[in-house]
Amino acid sequence: MSASQSAVRSRAEAVKVSRTFDWLILFVLFFVVLGGYHIHYMLTGGDWDFWTDWKDRRLWVTVAPIVSITFPAAVQAVLWWRYRLPFGAVVCILGLLLGEWINRYLNFWGWTYFPVNFCFPSNLMPGAIVLDVVLMLSGSMTVTAVIGGMAWGLLFYPGNWPVIAPLHVPVEYNGMMMTLADLQGYHYVRTGTPEYIRMVEKGTLRTFGKDVAPVSAFFSAFVSILIYFLWHFFGKWFGGTSFTQSA
Amino acid sequence: MAATTESVRADAAEAPLLNKKNMILGSLLYVVFYGWVRWYEGVYGWSAGLDSFAPEFETYWMNFLYIEFVLEVATAGILWGYIWKSRDRKVMSITPREELRRHFTHWTWLVMYGFAIYYGASYFTEQDGTWHQTIVRDTDFTPSHIIEFYLSYPIYIITGGAAFLYAKTRLPTYQQGLHLQYMVAVVGPFMILPNVGLNEWGHTFWFMEELFVAPLHYGFVFFGWAALGVMGVVNTEVIAIAKLLKKDLA
Repeated sequence: MSASQSAVRSRAEAVKVSRTFDWLILFVLFFVVLGGYHIHYMLTGGDWDFWTDWKDRRLWVTVAPIVSITFPAAVQAVLWWRYRLPFGAVVCILGLLLGEWINRYLNFWGWTYFPVNFCFPSNLMPGAIVLDVVLMLSGSMTVTAVIGGMAWGLLFYPGNWPVIAPLHVPVEYNGMMMTLADLQGYHYVRTGTPEYIRMVEKGTLRTFGKDVAPVSAFFSAFVSILIYFLWHFFGKWFGGTSFTQSA
Repeated sequence: MAATTESVRADAAEAPLLNKKNMILGSLLYVVFYGWVRWYEGVYGWSAGLDSFAPEFETYWMNFLYIEFVLEVATAGILWGYIWKSRDRKVMSITPREELRRHFTHWTWLVMYGFAIYYGASYFTEQDGTWHQTIVRDTDFTPSHIIEFYLSYPIYIITGGAAFLYAKTRLPTYQQGLHLQYMVAVVGPFMILPNVGLNEWGHTFWFMEELFVAPLHYGFVFFGWAALGVMGVVNTEVIAIAKLLKKDLA
């Protein structure tokens, strides 16, 4: 093509074209990342995210942040490092939560009739905001990984506490003590997920009682830091513009 | 270069840069079709989808599966064949305005890919979780699988393949070889479909149970990561479009 020819007829048209592409890019990025992130998250931490009786003080707190920091780190690696857009993590979580809420309402409730207060998704937004803000203020991948990654893990349980606390109230049922969330699982039978599959409160860590959640969150924060580093570089690679050589 | 080429029709210059009608109709196609599919699941999932040995299962679900197989193969063959057959053989000679127009058409395909990936990887995949954690399966071809694996996945494969082929056959940007991240973004999610083989084989050992985080499912996770390749496509497109508009935006 000729460099002297113009693709647009005026500056106004050029601006309009540019803005239109912005919206198209945002839409595509949002929904494709949503799809990839959601299938990743539901198959690596999904069971803890699906049901309130899986949302325990140990494994939910440990697993959910570790597996969920992946896509935010990768998308930040492109949106911030190429375009200085400080919302990579938030846009990932908005996408994930949109996909999850639509599903929990239309399918978990709408098709298999589990009430939404039994199958609502975890809240990942506080960690995402902090991750983006740390990156924006520091401009450093290392600081974001260490401070932001740690905050990601540590904030998960407090960020969900207002929602989950009422369901962790102890109740006595048929002579057994359990949480209200356990009782929900007892009544809303999931035939394909028998009780022996449920991974909650395992091991002797639970004997520490009130310390279980903070210890789990701290461990989760540590691993989240490592995962952030790894996925930052994954993101850099996925954002590449390389071609294989033509034949 | 010449102001006109064999590849550009005389009236092309007057066509809109972004064909909004195509964009809206394409979007509606996915949303309305999948709305109908969800309605079908709601009506016939519980009433005819619980026992694969029942005659109504054959009527409402296996026939659905056979029909979708035929339609998918036909659609892929016709669509991909048409895009390839009608390729521009002088793609490096098009005018900048025509190139911009084609970028918009390419983005229309990418928007469709966004819809298709959302429904396949998010909507119908998590839906499969609640179905199998609730209903004990007695076949690989459960109602949720007939929709998820054998309808929504092929649809995003067909859509992604069409977007990739369009870019490769009509845009100068993609003529220097095969765009690695674009291939990953299209081929990776495609590999989720063959991975169904592993999934179904594995589930024959645990037919009664559905643990979504089981390692058996990690193949889907690995290939799901490939969707991030869309970031490479975005970056490539931004570079190409910026090059086209740079002079006028300066």
